[in-house]
Amino acid sequence: MKFLKNTARLKQAGFIVLLLFLVSIPVFSTQFFLTMMIRYMYFGLLTISFSFLAGQLGLFSLMVPVSFTITAYTIAICQVKNIMPLQLSLPLGFAIALIFAAVCGVMVNKTKETSFLMLTLVLSQLVWSIALQWTDLTNGSTGLLGIQFPEALNIFGDKPNVNQYYWTFILFGICIVLVWLLTRSSYGMRLRGIRDSESRMIALGYNTAALKWSAFMISAVISSVSGILFLYYTGMISPDLMSMNSSNQALISSILGGTNSIIGGSVLGTVINRTLELTLSGITKRYALVTGLLFLTVILVIPDGLTSVFERFKRGRKEGGELK
Amino acid sequence: MKKALSILMVLVILSTLFTACAGGGQPSSAPPPAGSTAVTPEPSADPNAKVKPDSPINVGVTCPYSGFVAALGENLVKGIQLGIEVEGRQDDIKLFIEDTKMEAELAVTKLDSLKQKDNCKFLIGSVTGHEGDAQAEWLKKNPDVIFMPGYSAPQDMTMRNYSPNMIRAGWTADQVMFHYGQYVAKELGYKKIISVGADYSYPWGQAAGFCRGFMENGGEQIEYIWYPEGNLDFSSIMGKLQGMAGQYDAVFLNDGGATIISFWKAWEQYGMNKVFPQLIGGTNVADVNVLTEVSEGFVGVKSAGHYVDGSDIPANQEFIKKYTEKFGTSPDAVSVQGYDTIRCIIRGLDAVGWKTDDLNAIIEAIVSQKVTDSPRGTFFFDEFHNATQNVYVKEVILDANGNLQNKIVKTFENVSQFGPYDAYKEQYMSMPPDARDYPYTTKDAYMKDIEKYLGKDYVDELVKNGGWK
Repeated sequence: MKFLKNTARLKQAGFIVLLLFLVSIPVFSTQFFLTMMIRYMYFGLLTISFSFLAGQLGLFSLMVPVSFTITAYTIAICQVKNIMPLQLSLPLGFAIALIFAAVCGVMVNKTKETSFLMLTLVLSQLVWSIALQWTDLTNGSTGLLGIQFPEALNIFGDKPNVNQYYWTFILFGICIVLVWLLTRSSYGMRLRGIRDSESRMIALGYNTAALKWSAFMISAVISSVSGILFLYYTGMISPDLMSMNSSNQALISSILGGTNSIIGGSVLGTVINRTLELTLSGITKRYALVTGLLFLTVILVIPDGLTSVFERFKRGRKEGGELK
Repeated sequence: MKKALSILMVLVILSTLFTACAGGGQPSSAPPPAGSTAVTPEPSADPNAKVKPDSPINVGVTCPYSGFVAALGENLVKGIQLGIEVEGRQDDIKLFIEDTKMEAELAVTKLDSLKQKDNCKFLIGSVTGHEGDAQAEWLKKNPDVIFMPGYSAPQDMTMRNYSPNMIRAGWTADQVMFHYGQYVAKELGYKKIISVGADYSYPWGQAAGFCRGFMENGGEQIEYIWYPEGNLDFSSIMGKLQGMAGQYDAVFLNDGGATIISFWKAWEQYGMNKVFPQLIGGTNVADVNVLTEVSEGFVGVKSAGHYVDGSDIPANQEFIKKYTEKFGTSPDAVSVQGYDTIRCIIRGLDAVGWKTDDLNAIIEAIVSQKVTDSPRGTFFFDEFHNATQNVYVKEVILDANGNLQNKIVKTFENVSQFGPYDAYKEQYMSMPPDARDYPYTTKDAYMKDIEKYLGKDYVDELVKNGGWK
């Protein structure tokens, strides 16, 4: 028992050290590391929104980037065309993305597994082609450029990217805590119940359709937040972000890290995937092959993702301990 | 235990793969080996001995190495490598090559990575239009590097959105089209044109330049048909074109790459050459990579550009010879751009003694040079750092070996990015930027619009002369 208590304390200490480290990054790190951290966070959130559905409900949604892009596009269009200020366009962006997600949620939740995958793919491609072809509004494949980070939010000094880092970090942190709480709540239990056996959950009297729909919406909210972070860091939004490749990257990151461990898996997977993307291509032209092989190996050898290795290690220790 | 063993094995396999790939990828990240063509004078014997930098200068290149424009990225890099070799600077320049996957976000992040991680002060940018636009935006926030676009050609990068550290040894979409519009209206005598093009910024720019030259020299109307980028099925467009056949004089194709090949297949299938005269095209319609794939019916297709593969100026013949010897493939316009761009950088560095401390001095040295031995002819830079150069009207012919090739039909000398509006720069820039529906495409609306910006005198002059002088 004492041993367990100690690990809990150890965990707490580790968590605080990690938090301090993350907060102090802008003080000591190089510009490049900061860039990478911000990038991990906005793509990490996108992966989390994918993993949330995959891990909790076992549904692989290829339309996670849709809310991401709709929100970003709405804000960008409002700003570029001078329609309304950020205070109004931000809620509007959320509203449009969520309304769209709500409608899609009703449709796609009638399906399961492969047909769910296909339907979400079709819907995401639909929005992608709208963004590509409605050129009056979206400026076609060039997308919208030159979105400025709001001046009013520059409260962490004037070093480049430091403000973006802290705001990204704060929103990322909030999302992570919320997801963490959700997965540990009875709501999360119910979702996992549906994942394991939907018919049994129905028999127990749960309204599984509503539960699935709400999970779909939560995923859309997280994706929208990452869209905002992306827009204000990169200053642009283009249809690329909604292409097949964008969905695939979320999927690959999520599976690399492990879909069952929503936060850890997503963050780990995103970090590995996006680091490889940036560093490997300088070394070899055939970097996609390396990523592909890595993905293949992970699926074949550790289908539950990289985080499952840690889990197994931990469980092994517990089994050898006093509990069993 | 078994699991742990298999994980270990995977790691081992992966690490060997990494090193193997790193070895295989060497030529792309390191300077190419000294070739036979490079003349490196003995430093001590020659009074004009080359100044050497203390350590190699890092030059970053971002280009699409994957996706359907991968060939362009590859040719850009080949051009750069040949340029370094020709100048004999293999030891003094270190190339860092990054793939953008043709995604704007990645293109910008790669620039960050090149600048912050690899300490590149010189960046050679992307190939496609939307990457270029995004990178130009990035450049505004990063005044401490010199950026030279790889191939992408939106006009405003060096005009309305001008930044001093962007130098384009290339061309703008409009620049090469102004006089071509004039040529089509005056020498081919077409009055009404159907323009079929991909729906994004680069073809818009080409259409805009063409429209100005065409309308001001007697053209009456252009009808636009835009299709989504990367479209490969042209049957519905062919049907539409057949219906319009009697009312229009010719079809102007405004795109590049694989779409041209499928367009041409459909064009022949539907027998369009019976109802329309031979196709006329934008700059990239008769690119080398298209010519190797289309049928001989392509002979006679006219287009315009700043580089003609069949041009017989000595610099071009020599370039093609060296390039083919080194890589075994034929160069195209993007190879020329890589070749010219890196040589501009090298000569700029020569002028400042390979000191990279004062960026402004290097920029000044680069833009003040006049390049006389480029495969495309002579060019120099204007005050917005875009190349002023010859524009050629080219026509596809069958050469002696039975291969398709472009030859020069007409040359317009020293065309700047403002084309015929050199005397009206301010007024030109006060016009709205190119868009898919701007400038206007009927004669009346167009003339009214330019009267607003360029003045009544300009329009009167046009009417009196029946076009440009």
